[in-house]
Amino acid sequence: MTPTLVSLLLVLLLAAGVAVALFRDPLAAVVAFGIYSLALAMLWSVFRAPDVALTEAAVGAGVTTALFLVVIARTSGRSAETVRSRSTVRGRSLLVVGAFVALAAWTVPALPAVGDPSAPAFQRVAPAYLARTPDLGVANVVTAVLVFFRGFDTFGEVVVVFVAGVAVLAVFRREVSA
Amino acid sequence: MTALLASRAAFLVAVVLLGLGLFVLIDDPNLLKKILGLNVFQTGIFLVYVAAAVRAGGRSPLVVEGGGPYVNPLPHVLILTAIVVGVSVTALAAALVARIHAERATVRADELRDGAGEVRDRE
Repeated sequence: MTPTLVSLLLVLLLAAGVAVALFRDPLAAVVAFGIYSLALAMLWSVFRAPDVALTEAAVGAGVTTALFLVVIARTSGRSAETVRSRSTVRGRSLLVVGAFVALAAWTVPALPAVGDPSAPAFQRVAPAYLARTPDLGVANVVTAVLVFFRGFDTFGEVVVVFVAGVAVLAVFRREVSA
Repeated sequence: MTALLASRAAFLVAVVLLGLGLFVLIDDPNLLKKILGLNVFQTGIFLVYVAAAVRAGGRSPLVVEGGGPYVNPLPHVLILTAIVVGVSVTALAAALVARIHAERATVRADELRDGAGEVRDRE
């Protein structure tokens, strides 16, 4: 994990995030979001999280972008994003976001440094899972935790996906007119 | 301050991403942009978790005989689940936006508030 590469990817991530926020046209914003997801996927692989990187590339950059493109195609009907003056909400939103960012940034010095092996998370729980995984006959600890140790939670995740699918179908069903 | 930036840059970037996402979520009148803002906000949280899993000199959590040290696999599991739940939320939100557009012919919160495309007498 080279610090230069991490810094470059963090800068790319920030730039793409700012582009997502600034583009008024949803299509341009979605394209910027694709770049953002790609930067994230690269960052995950540099951070030695290959499973998260693959999921991010497939789901974040792939499925999410496709979803947005479908919705943009369906909704770009009458008003092609009429450029009008912004509402007066802006000052208030900036204030709220500024307060939130200041509060969150205030907590950062309390976190352990990135990569610090003496961080509490590396002391007991992580080594326990790493030690018990080979007994199950799998090499990938992430798979082992998802399927064996926390299998019931993964079932809950599947339920969430199912409920979302049912809800999408319900949203698209038109009311029966009398 | 410089030491903080050097050792915790990923956390600081995550805080900025949270701010960016939150700003788009509450300030942008376009509902599609709001969903994108929600996605940026959520990836900011992912960054906190995955950065916290990093261990200097750590390898990917694929256990081999005599390997190690490894990065912390547990945040990876949590974030995998969060990505899947996030895309479910995005799909439902996108469906709602498409439905709103079908009913009201706009995807802008301010136009909706002004009553654009409202049908008064609907049987």
